[in-house]
Amino acid sequence: MSFAVETLKFEGPLDLMLHLIREQKLDIFDLDMEVLTDQYIAYINALEELRLEVESEYLVELATLIEYKSKRLLPKPVENLEDDYEDPKEKLVRRLLEYQKYKDVSATLNEAYLQRQDQLAKTLSIPDNDNEEDFMVEGDPYALLKAMNKVLRRAQMNRPLLTKYTTRELSTEDRILELKASLINLPEVFGFEELLSDCRDLSEYIVTFLAILDLAKDHFLSFSIDDNENVYFGRGSAYGQ
Amino acid sequence: MANSYVTAYEMNKKEIERWHKIPSACQRVAIKDDPQVVAEGLLYIVGEDGLRIDQLAMALDTSYENAEVIMENIKDKYNQDNYGIELVAYGESYKFVTKKVVLSYAQRLFNLTKPQALSQSALETLAIIAYKQPITRVEIEELRGVGAEVMLRKLQTRGLIKEAGRSEAPGRPILYEVTKEFLDSFKLYTLDELPDLPAYDNSESENLFE
Repeated sequence: MSFAVETLKFEGPLDLMLHLIREQKLDIFDLDMEVLTDQYIAYINALEELRLEVESEYLVELATLIEYKSKRLLPKPVENLEDDYEDPKEKLVRRLLEYQKYKDVSATLNEAYLQRQDQLAKTLSIPDNDNEEDFMVEGDPYALLKAMNKVLRRAQMNRPLLTKYTTRELSTEDRILELKASLINLPEVFGFEELLSDCRDLSEYIVTFLAILDLAKDHFLSFSIDDNENVYFGRGSAYGQ
Repeated sequence: MANSYVTAYEMNKKEIERWHKIPSACQRVAIKDDPQVVAEGLLYIVGEDGLRIDQLAMALDTSYENAEVIMENIKDKYNQDNYGIELVAYGESYKFVTKKVVLSYAQRLFNLTKPQALSQSALETLAIIAYKQPITRVEIEELRGVGAEVMLRKLQTRGLIKEAGRSEAPGRPILYEVTKEFLDSFKLYTLDELPDLPAYDNSESENLFE
């Protein structure tokens, strides 16, 4: 199917519509919405048949086209028809023409851009300075570190957004249940660390701490602090109820 | 003194040439050395950073108009075929660059990396910003019919656009405009030099939209 090759060529739904208008030799100033809508739908269907992902932007415009088409099919009072019915079409034509302007001018701009690439310039030459002290840089290593981080962040921004990551969201409520369940395996008296043993990151430490506070408040856990400020936990009065 | 200077606008091309030839031209500048020779040297030093007319005027202790004439004289001089470099006026400043003929020979000497081309969507986004600036992301998206967030970030990283305050619209969205680097990259001195937008919706469509 010829569409397969063409899919990547379009810059968006408006670009696609302009292509269809050219291909079908439609008059943009007297746009046949019927033909455009049918062609547009055919194109989107072809994409889906090929199991290509259709970007949401294309579907938004598709919805607009279908809405227009369906409104036409509905019987309406004559005077209303006149108002409602030309409007979305005019709007679309205006958008298409406006977009075409920037598309065309961008070709002219690109020519200048490419010409500019052929013109090479030298970097700034600063005349030799005998006074070395002028080149002393004030600041501490941390300022340097900060600057380096800035450079790295910039480099990071240059890289495409390909990374995906997932975070495990753990609610305090879930953690309370987890802690209650784990009490069975713990001795009569145990340390703070034992409740934290399965935490993998900072957010889990925080959630666990909040869960412990809740459990202590509900007298599910009892706690004591010794002279060395070590915290010990035991089962509270609410345990086992 | 400054009032006696003839402005560049008052002079036609012929007058500019004559003005430069007469020895007294140097006297219009407060330094005793040939201002054009000095300007050439300064332009050599600044390289790709370029020299603005007001900077040259300051260095030569002369008027803005005089400095402009000096720049234009140098530009005319290097426009001739017997020079390998030329003076260009991009991004509100003047700079020496090599002529196109030099490029293929430079490639024999150096491993010149091909500079990153701009994608069609990058060009369209830049065009919209350049003609409509300052403009918000949503306005750009409306015009192109596609999301612009990633593209705006890319163009910002490349230094071609910058944030320019916030719109008064609800949510106070960020406004974007093009940078001097954009002007330089597209051989423009100022935005006034942008080519006219094609007018598709004028004569033919006027009756259509009524």
